[in-house]
Amino acid sequence: MASSGNAMRAVSEDEFAGLVDLLAADPAGSAQLADLLREEHPVYDGRGTATVVRMRGWILLALARSALSDQALIFVLEELDTGIDAYLVAAAARALRSYTKPNEALAPFLARALNRIRYRDEPISFASYGEYATSPAGTTAVSELLATLAWLGPNARAVLPQLERWRAEQGLSRKLRLDLDRVLQAIGEPADSVPSCCGGLPEGSNISIRTSMARLDSRSVDSIVMQDQDGKLLKFVEFFKGSPSIVVFFYTRCDNPQKCSLSVTKLARVQALLDAQGLARRIRTAAITYDPEFDRAERLRVYGKDRAVRMDENHRMLRAIEGNDALREYFELGVNFIESLVNRHRIELYILDAAGRIAVSFERLHWDEPQIVTRAVETLEGMR
Amino acid sequence: MAKHKKAKRANASKKRTATKKFGRNALAVATNSKKATSQRVAALALAPLAVSGSETDLQRVLKLLANPDEPIEVRFAALDSLQTASFDAATFSSIHSDYIATLRKLAEDPNYELRQRVLGILMRAKDGFAQKKLLEGLKNPAKALLLPEKALQLLSYDVHAEAYSAARAVLKKRPNDDAKREALRLLAADPKAVPIFEKVLRDKKELRENRQIAASALHALDPEKLQSQARKILLDKSDYADIKATSLTALEQFGDDAALSKDKALMQSVNRFKSGKTPAKYKQTARRFLSKYGQ
Repeated sequence: MASSGNAMRAVSEDEFAGLVDLLAADPAGSAQLADLLREEHPVYDGRGTATVVRMRGWILLALARSALSDQALIFVLEELDTGIDAYLVAAAARALRSYTKPNEALAPFLARALNRIRYRDEPISFASYGEYATSPAGTTAVSELLATLAWLGPNARAVLPQLERWRAEQGLSRKLRLDLDRVLQAIGEPADSVPSCCGGLPEGSNISIRTSMARLDSRSVDSIVMQDQDGKLLKFVEFFKGSPSIVVFFYTRCDNPQKCSLSVTKLARVQALLDAQGLARRIRTAAITYDPEFDRAERLRVYGKDRAVRMDENHRMLRAIEGNDALREYFELGVNFIESLVNRHRIELYILDAAGRIAVSFERLHWDEPQIVTRAVETLEGMR
Repeated sequence: MAKHKKAKRANASKKRTATKKFGRNALAVATNSKKATSQRVAALALAPLAVSGSETDLQRVLKLLANPDEPIEVRFAALDSLQTASFDAATFSSIHSDYIATLRKLAEDPNYELRQRVLGILMRAKDGFAQKKLLEGLKNPAKALLLPEKALQLLSYDVHAEAYSAARAVLKKRPNDDAKREALRLLAADPKAVPIFEKVLRDKKELRENRQIAASALHALDPEKLQSQARKILLDKSDYADIKATSLTALEQFGDDAALSKDKALMQSVNRFKSGKTPAKYKQTARRFLSKYGQ
């Protein structure tokens, strides 16, 4: 079902829910459903964050009605990895149970989600689009996570110690204690009693590496005017050409501590690793805001300082004064807005080569600092 | 030494037991509908001692809150008790989900104050249900659960609450003073609202409080615009002393010193402000400004 960008923007929530239901009923609709989960999809343009939550939750539930594809799995894991909205976490947990390749790699995602949500559990209703539960009778985010851990069974053995610790603590309701006991029992089943498949996550699910031939020319963004944390103006080409660089995107008004705040904090650790290896002048780093109108120089500086980010001529916090749309297009940023405010974004980190071209991208799941440095060094050495 | 430690542990255990017993007794009074309302309210104030450790006790207090047949004072006291207990997130987690369900249900309670309080709690938790209800009420007054100024105030607790367009719509409708003030406060985080704040700041017919909100918002969103407007205010002989004082502070603290020190027209205006029929406290502000630039 082809839809133009403008047409999708004008779709009401009820129409959107109808579209999702149609795609869910179509055996060939799964790919389009997964495509609707891209943050930059026009359907999310101009929508508030709570609306985006309702829309994405409905898509995840639609995916749960048939086998969850490898393509869609990454969106589910992303929600479990860093999501803080109980409805989306619950929908993701439910969707995961329709994946045909349960394996050990999935359990840590569920355990992390459980840690985040357990003190902010909410009643959830999946009965109809946009419905909020006003009664304790239904399911909750924690219930869904526990149900999915039970589904994993012996594949969840790695997180058994964490679950046993939780069981021994205060604060577990009677109902959840019973659910948890079922999970512990399921984990204790013999390993061959449940299917276990093809360990690990699908290849290339969150990391994309481009050969030199496949990298897009950066001419479209070279003349973008940026401002750094000290108020200095510079063009994209002046900072990003000449040395490889590591770039994260963030914004100061992000209220998910697992996303922007953690990404920028981890960037500071990447800087420290670079410095320790004598590479701080050969590989640059930058944190660029999605929200250039609000994140003015002073805000960038304070945000970076609070997270121990190194800021000097090779390491900067930046906003685009002009050409922000071109920047967004060049990086194909996973972000959308209601007016100037971000309504949803993914975690994204890019390694650019010395020509300012994207060489490697890490998306959706949290990245490992040493791995980033390794890839950046490879990009540096690829220059030789 | 070991004997002393053992005695200390035994004492602490006795205290905990006594405290729990005391709290349980208080809870028994609180949940007894035959007791006087004032007694039950007083007992609920003591209840946190008992409820925070027990899912059963927490559920009993939650039931009081949810029951529309209970006296409203008892329900408010139950809400206070639960809010206090919620600070112990680990133990409160046993009923957190049920608590949210109850609060959502109470968002449409016939009692206005109860609606306001529960919606406030939900909005501080960034609850999508509460946000949807408040926005619906602003769009359609027949569905409003709270007065528009209160709805806007609660929506401002979550910057992602898609309230900017609602606030602008309220401003367009010529709202009452309270609603206008809250709409401006909410828009203070919206960079697109800079023209609104410039207009409010320069409008001498505007309420002073709104002009101060505008100055503060401009400082956060576009300091250069505030500097420019502040200068115009100081050059305007007919503007009010308090707004001029705010403008002076903005320029003194955040202005471009090099440009200001050469601004003769500005210095003359500030001198007039200092010497004229200006309240003493604002004259002091003017003196400080002039002294900074060697005048």
